[in-house]
Amino acid sequence: MRNVIRLVWFDLKPELSPPVWIVMEWVVFLVQVGIYGAIISQLVTNPVIGDYKQFYAVGLVIMITFDMASHTGRHFVEHAHEGRLPYLLSLPISRSKLFLTIALQGATELALMLSVPLIVTLLIIGNLTWVSVVACILALFFLGFGVAGLMLGLSFIAFKSSDLYTAMVTGLSAVIIRFSTVLYPFIVLPSQYASAAAFSPLTYGSDLVRFILGFDPTILLNPYYAVAVLAGLAVSTLGLGIFLAQRLVEGVKSA
Amino acid sequence: MYAVETENLTKRYGKTYALENLDFTIDENEIMVLLGPNGSGKTTLLLILATVLKPTSGNAKVMGLDVAAQPTQVRRLLGIAFQDARGFWRHKPADILRFHASVCGVPKAKADSLIETFFKDLELWDARNKLFMHLSGGQAKRLEVSKVLVQRPKFAILDEPTSQVDLRGKRQIWEQILKLREEGSTILVATNEVREAEYLADRVTVLDLGKFVVCDSVRKLKDSITGGDIVELEIDTSEPKTLEEALNQIDGTVKITNARENRFKAYVSMAESWVPKMTEICYQNKARIHSIRITEPSLDDVFLHFTGRTLRENNK
Repeated sequence: MRNVIRLVWFDLKPELSPPVWIVMEWVVFLVQVGIYGAIISQLVTNPVIGDYKQFYAVGLVIMITFDMASHTGRHFVEHAHEGRLPYLLSLPISRSKLFLTIALQGATELALMLSVPLIVTLLIIGNLTWVSVVACILALFFLGFGVAGLMLGLSFIAFKSSDLYTAMVTGLSAVIIRFSTVLYPFIVLPSQYASAAAFSPLTYGSDLVRFILGFDPTILLNPYYAVAVLAGLAVSTLGLGIFLAQRLVEGVKSA
Repeated sequence: MYAVETENLTKRYGKTYALENLDFTIDENEIMVLLGPNGSGKTTLLLILATVLKPTSGNAKVMGLDVAAQPTQVRRLLGIAFQDARGFWRHKPADILRFHASVCGVPKAKADSLIETFFKDLELWDARNKLFMHLSGGQAKRLEVSKVLVQRPKFAILDEPTSQVDLRGKRQIWEQILKLREEGSTILVATNEVREAEYLADRVTVLDLGKFVVCDSVRKLKDSITGGDIVELEIDTSEPKTLEEALNQIDGTVKITNARENRFKAYVSMAESWVPKMTEICYQNKARIHSIRITEPSLDDVFLHFTGRTLRENNK
């Protein structure tokens, strides 16, 4: 386990000295909520939603989670392309611990990235308690693991063509975010949009986090259903992603 | 028990065989050099032994451990310097080596001392605090080799350890590899540099197109080429024809040419046993030897002998 921590720290260290891009993400979040959130909440005055700024802030937190989880998948592909993966695979660490390292590193980056946005969001909503923080983090990690697994599963495309992988991930990101309840609640969506949104993992992540934070449950999906979907997604895609990636990097697929 | 043993080892990418039914062994505390042109399967073999790639079929064992069934245990015994030194772009060489040593279980005090030694010996001291991305190709390669040197594994794998390194640097790295063997490591070096193979190898395995060609000591491989040694003689004699006939009778003589009156060129096997016999014949024939120049075949000639192509041709 000590080696897992060493590896996570070794990889994170250059990103934290200094932590420019993390701070920049916080600044972008604050600007986005402070300016755009304030303006859009004046325009969106649907009584079903209530204060749209609160709804929007949670949506931004979900989008950051999605970006970071995608980044973890991409990070793995970059490792392979930069020639770092063979080195990692040759270290005296079991494969399961190596993939745990990749997941932990992603989770740590996610936690660092989310710390300020999550606290600011909870302050805006007026629900900054230990319970809400822990519950949100759990829900977001489930979502993050699910998305990271999805991206890892897709990484086999990158071994054929990194351009195709980038195009697919960008397209998929656009669709997954837009066709979801990240920025608008399920009940206001036209039926065809709502049907598509039901396939986005972000729908379940954002509705679950909003439920935890005390949003009106009548505008959200059933939280038990959301927990089941997120847990299933995290276990299946991460498991599949690790399985595919492991077979891929060790070349068994060619057998 | 062999330090490394493969049996029918095969690695296939689609329809292409990177390795085909390879049977190969390395003795403990031996330096085995894999010699072959680009695409001969050297790196594939190294990556399978390092458990980075899994074989398509066949077995490979390192110190008795199966690389496919017990990969984590195998990785605890080995260290590998990859052909392309890439990876941690935003890290400093000192941090990279410290990290590598700690993950491989080298005690901190020992690691710090070894890191300082190798930074100095391999002329990386001034670059130790640069970012990896700012190192030259040769410095990056020396850093890659330093990982194995600091780790001092039981089984060291080095893939073209001196490519991109200048002549002085090559010699420094070769000396360190020999020291590592003196301390008990078994070493596998892949190269397509003939000089490197000749300097380091206890035995050489020649691979071509993923297949085993031949394996033996450098001396025996060279001696296996009939007439591979060339002995150029300048002899003062009144009867060159008689002398030529006498030289032709020596065991191991393949051909004698008489370029000019007193100059002979003998194509022989094992010049070291041919030359004493030649001197005796010259003495008996009252011929005076002015000069002897012996040229032995290179490993390039060995490769040519066994495959019909030179290494240089294949690398083009």
